Amino acid sequence: MGRPYLRFIATALVGTLAVQASPAPDPDATPAPAADALAHDLYRELIEINTTDSVGNVTAASAALARRFRAAGFPPADVLVLGPNERKKNLVVRLHGTGKHKPVLLIGHLDVVEARREDWSTDPFKLVEKDGYFYGRGALDMKAGDAIMATTLLRMKQEGYRSSRDIVLALTADEEGGCCNGVEWLVRNHRELIDAEFVLNHDGLVGYSITSEHGVPQEFALSATEKMYADYQLTVTNRGGHSSLPRADNAIYQLAQGLLNIGHYAFPVELNDVTRGYFERMAATRSGQAAADMRAITRSPVDPSAVARLSREPELNSLLRTTCVATRLEGGHANNALPQRAQAVVNCRILPGHSKEEVRLELVRVLDDASITVRYVADDGTVTDRAPDQRAIAPSPLLPQVVKPLESTVAALWPGLPVVPFMNASATDGIYTRGAGLPTYGVAGIAVDADDMHAHGRDERVRVAAFYRGNEFFYRYLRAVTVQ
Amino acid sequence: MIASRRARAAATLFLVIARAAGSAAAPPALPDATASDALAHALLKQLVEINTTDSPRGNVTTAAEAMAQQLRTAGFPAADIHVLGPSARKKNLVVRLRGSGAHPAVLLIGHLDVVEARREDWSTDPFELIERDGFFYGRGTLDMKGPDALMVAALVRLKREGFTPARDIILALTADEEGGAANGVAWLLEHHRELVDAQFVLSGDDYSVLTEHGRPLFFQLVASEKVYADYQLLVTNKGGHSSEPVPDNAIYRLTRGLDRLAAYEFPFELNAVTREYYRRLARIESGQRAADMRAILREPPDRQALARLSQDPVDHSITRTTCVATRLDAGHANNALPQRAQAVVNCRILPGHSPEEIRQRLVDVLADPAITVSYLASDGRLLAKAPEVRGFAPPPLLPEVLTPLDQLVAQTWPGLTVIPSMSAGASDATHTSAAGLPTYTFSPLTIDPDDDREHGRDERIGVASFYQANEFMYNYLKLLTAH
Repeated sequence: MGRPYLRFIATALVGTLAVQASPAPDPDATPAPAADALAHDLYRELIEINTTDSVGNVTAASAALARRFRAAGFPPADVLVLGPNERKKNLVVRLHGTGKHKPVLLIGHLDVVEARREDWSTDPFKLVEKDGYFYGRGALDMKAGDAIMATTLLRMKQEGYRSSRDIVLALTADEEGGCCNGVEWLVRNHRELIDAEFVLNHDGLVGYSITSEHGVPQEFALSATEKMYADYQLTVTNRGGHSSLPRADNAIYQLAQGLLNIGHYAFPVELNDVTRGYFERMAATRSGQAAADMRAITRSPVDPSAVARLSREPELNSLLRTTCVATRLEGGHANNALPQRAQAVVNCRILPGHSKEEVRLELVRVLDDASITVRYVADDGTVTDRAPDQRAIAPSPLLPQVVKPLESTVAALWPGLPVVPFMNASATDGIYTRGAGLPTYGVAGIAVDADDMHAHGRDERVRVAAFYRGNEFFYRYLRAVTVQ
Repeated sequence: MIASRRARAAATLFLVIARAAGSAAAPPALPDATASDALAHALLKQLVEINTTDSPRGNVTTAAEAMAQQLRTAGFPAADIHVLGPSARKKNLVVRLRGSGAHPAVLLIGHLDVVEARREDWSTDPFELIERDGFFYGRGTLDMKGPDALMVAALVRLKREGFTPARDIILALTADEEGGAANGVAWLLEHHRELVDAQFVLSGDDYSVLTEHGRPLFFQLVASEKVYADYQLLVTNKGGHSSEPVPDNAIYRLTRGLDRLAAYEFPFELNAVTREYYRRLARIESGQRAADMRAILREPPDRQALARLSQDPVDHSITRTTCVATRLDAGHANNALPQRAQAVVNCRILPGHSPEEIRQRLVDVLADPAITVSYLASDGRLLAKAPEVRGFAPPPLLPEVLTPLDQLVAQTWPGLTVIPSMSAGASDATHTSAAGLPTYTFSPLTIDPDDDREHGRDERIGVASFYQANEFMYNYLKLLTAH
């Protein structure tokens, strides 16, 4: 669900990479019409089951896929539908391997955000193919990935594939919000079912990992860490009074001054293994000042003018530091009364290694006004004086057993396409698996144009060709990861 | 009244008035004073118990009809009583006590409508007149069914006595001063000017005797008003995801503008009323404040004296137009960059300046073309430009109004001074002033500014004050029209 940083990169690379990254069919690629037909079938079935938090039913989607797995010969003991309540059950399927290596866990969420028919050009709960695109709620985020992962397991089963490790697939509830996040619930209650050496999360950036420009892939982002999301509430109270008698003390003006301090403040630059790897690899694809700046910031001490230049790009700025931005304001209760209260919401994206409370205290310092209280707003809306002390989880190490097969698979399908380590801007279910100590990587072979991101919005869509290419990619990549 | 009388009321908190008498020496009661008090009480009860809110439960016409019936009973001829208005629920009462015609008429105005009141917010039923602990409680007791009852009672008493005033006394009790679509004063002036035409207007929409812990400080006569205006400041932006903040942010642009607005001061300016206000106050103030008041009256005014005085919000507001941000609203989701940020700025504009002039000034002060400044009309409409009409210069302080007032105030509260003042605006006096009728606002009710519950819960007036004011109103109208 996190929004990617890749728009900038895609724009920057269009000149340098267009030659090498054409989507020409790969000679090695064996067409798999049966697998594509199956993926399409599952995709349709999933989209047409409403899995929103409001009126939808995730269990129905889990059960529909469970039937497919049982029909394909998976023993009932390896196909489990389980969860904390009737509407929010998760599917856990295991394809047994030889046990040479520890299992790999594949995760994907089945739930989707709300969609209103009147907002859409098509029925959001119908898979519609039109003008070279698949349309529907979840077309990108992330029923495409769910269908692709399920297809891959079914295909391997049918082929009698001998994997070097168990492949566990967990398709889950409430990633987009709701009471009962499925990954969190499984980690807490059925760790034994999902334990693995590492996790592949098909959520990727937002259901994809390849940013394209007019359909031409620009790069493959390997999501290996993510920022931590936190909302803070800033409040100024005042005794108010009648607006015909303004006074120097005014809740709105006080809040305004505090917000200006936040607007001017930049958190310190801090790179981790993932973002350092990102800038190193990106530098190789750039030239001139940009390349020099990217190299400069990976060295120590960091060159402040290079930081300043790169920070002008919002996407890169967000990779370099924790960011906080005012997103909402509310103040006053009547046009003719001095405000008794002014409030703002400040949304922060916190770098790994830092806690929400640490950032809260930094906001207090930056605001520099003891009468502006800074409280933490939890996901469920609860407001507390202090924020959690837990630090954002460190990036997953770039394991060779994950990265090498990825590079070779990408090279085979998209010759020349760079694989760059990446830090997601916001939360995915990866926070729960990383929190459980499982290295987690966002990997999805679907390409989306930087300017065509409709996830969570209306007319969510994926190119038909990108869907089938992503299906083929995942099959090949999972084989590469589980080869004997 | 819509706008604050707190502006003026609060002024008294900062006053020390040595000569103010502690107790009220009531003038000798006239023979039928007791009967008149009983009538005033009955009228107040009747008015409070008729819901005249703008909501569907309210009906101003019912109150107008009830007062018309009282006047007919008192002997006013049917031809001199009119109940009329633009809609069935919003009719106004106009009654005329005919005089000798020696002078042009005087028009008394009062509004019958009240602001909403919810039973659950109040200690008593707001639409029932409750007498308790020396107070009358009920919605409108202060604003302004109390003054309405006093004006009707005075007319009835004069009529019953067979008094012939030297000028016709017209009373208009009207709808929608507090809001609503059918302001009665504006409607009468536009459609029935002949019924309400007068040499000058007295509005009862105020309490004039300000006290501190029960001790009267001075008597305010409102003779000028500021113009009320709301503006909307709006910044729009393409928004985006909050994980990638961009420098151009609707909230920051708006707050930068508000920061500049907070630092801005409109120019110092006095008019005939506020000059007289400071001249008279300087006499009863002492020390640095008195000296500062005199110093700002000099040409050129003393800047340091002005700066000192302006630290007091009341003096700050009397000496200049003020604009202040009163509301904020921005953003639509915690995790999205705001696509829109808006603020309401409320201004109180000195007479002689127009809302459009102030709008343009705000544009200059905000100094950011991305912040649009629209005028927010009282019906909620947003207009790209504000009205060009200027607030009315204060009328002359007519001796025929002021002399009897000075005399009666001195008699009722020995030592108390009448101080002309300027209100924060937005009362029905705006309409009569616009029609060219000099308008003065007062009512002889006594109130501690700390106890101003106008528009609030448990609105009340003192029982003793109400009856004292009843006597005052009668005597004042008699003095005003004696010759």
